Amino acid sequence: MASQMNHAIEVFSPNKVISKQTVRWMVGFQLLLLFFIWVFSPTVFLPKPTEVFQALNEMWQEGLGGELITSFILNLEAIAFATLLSLGMAYLTVIPFFRPIVTLLSKLRFLSMVGLTFFFTLMASTGHALKLYLLVFSVSVFFVTGMAEVVSSIPKERFDLARTLRMGEWRVVYEVVIIGQADKAFEVLRQNAAMGWMMLTMVEGISRSEGGVGAMLLNQNKHFHLSAVFAIQLTILLLGLGQDYCIGLLREVFCPYADLTLERK
Amino acid sequence: MVSYTYGKTLLKVEDVSLEYDGRPILKHVSAEIKDIIRPDCVQGQVVGFLGPSGIGKTQLFRIIAGLNKPTSGRVTINGLDRPVRAGEVGVVAQDYPLFEHRTVMSNLLLAANQKEKDEKTARDKVVQYLTEFDLLDKASLYPVQLSGGQRQRCAIIQQILCSDHFLLMDEPFSGLDLLMLEKTSELIQKVSNMDDLNTIIVVTHDITAAAAVSDHLWLMGRDHDAKGNPLPGSHIVETYDLIERDLCWNPQIITQPRFVDFVREVKERFRSL
Repeated sequence: MASQMNHAIEVFSPNKVISKQTVRWMVGFQLLLLFFIWVFSPTVFLPKPTEVFQALNEMWQEGLGGELITSFILNLEAIAFATLLSLGMAYLTVIPFFRPIVTLLSKLRFLSMVGLTFFFTLMASTGHALKLYLLVFSVSVFFVTGMAEVVSSIPKERFDLARTLRMGEWRVVYEVVIIGQADKAFEVLRQNAAMGWMMLTMVEGISRSEGGVGAMLLNQNKHFHLSAVFAIQLTILLLGLGQDYCIGLLREVFCPYADLTLERK
Repeated sequence: MVSYTYGKTLLKVEDVSLEYDGRPILKHVSAEIKDIIRPDCVQGQVVGFLGPSGIGKTQLFRIIAGLNKPTSGRVTINGLDRPVRAGEVGVVAQDYPLFEHRTVMSNLLLAANQKEKDEKTARDKVVQYLTEFDLLDKASLYPVQLSGGQRQRCAIIQQILCSDHFLLMDEPFSGLDLLMLEKTSELIQKVSNMDDLNTIIVVTHDITAAAAVSDHLWLMGRDHDAKGNPLPGSHIVETYDLIERDLCWNPQIITQPRFVDFVREVKERFRSL
């Protein structure tokens, strides 16, 4: 009993490292609490679980699965292009000529996507291309900002270590900047991929020719079908969590050293 | 007194000066390390490099390592008629840097492959050093999983594998307890005695530890004007030959009164810098 009290106190104390079992109990309790709030909430704007799952079932019959696949493929395409573009630009900041250019690109993150729609519409030949350009732009401006910061924060000592091992400057870039920061690249990718997935619904609202889960969501939202909106949001959340988990797994596989120094891992 | 002779010049600092924005940091620094030859004995060279904080030791350290270029003058090694290049002189910085994203084995293979012609020779050398330094069972670990002493040994091996018998060590005694200090001194002696040409320059504030492991000491400081104010630009103001004083190559040296007197002498000189 005393030991259980101690565990309970630790959970509310700062900087405590708690056991995996305690974490499972804690998370389980919080999810249960959330579920109870959902079930017993008096607010009419929060559909009950039974209503949400019923709406989910109906939409699944109407083709939600196919729309999710369409959206997810677009998302993966956008992540792939954004990753290549952003990492490439960030790594180029090792060359002084490209630093002002990359700095300028990172400032473009303050632009509104709405204002860029016309510009990209002129460039794109199809609805799919338009959505892809918008997504790639939206994700890249944040991705390149994060990654450029990672590159510029590498301590001088890491570069010196590589030079004392007779590496030429391009080899230094490969060793210290590219593979040396791979774990951080995965983290930045994870955060920006989540942002991209979140923006997908907005982008699919701009061009509805291919459908997608975003277009479906906007339709249900327009008609105040709250249960259906929640049901779609649930599937978006689950897929997003799945994406996040997969990127985390890739990081663990390719960078097993990354979390060895962390207190809470 | 142990018999010895001097052979060829292994490292030479030739009138090196360094300025930043017109402000002299180093001024006409000259020094030389010669090969020490002892009959029937493998004997490397160890030079202790002392000086007050901010005097320019790190700047000279980086020039000797080939990481920075001096404003004038040059550093040469092994009689070559060109300045030293990065990679020819190994550098072990204070925090024993290694590539955190590579295992111990991978870190060392990376270094060995820079110098050896084939993979097998490189691997054999790495295994030999890992065995010699009691790190073979740590080969598959990442640097963050090593203790401080293990990391130190690993960083030293990495630099030895890649350099031309030269090693610069930056504050290797800093923050160590007595036992670790002795282990580090033993390690330096061990590395220097692995090959006649092995030359280690130890930059440190610890005069006693430096004197205990070195055969020569360089003391860096500035000249003073008539009023006693320091003039800009430092250089090596004093060199001590511990071989001549019969104060090296003796594991029990620190207990001897002559050694204690010598350390006192160096400390007095240090205070005047």
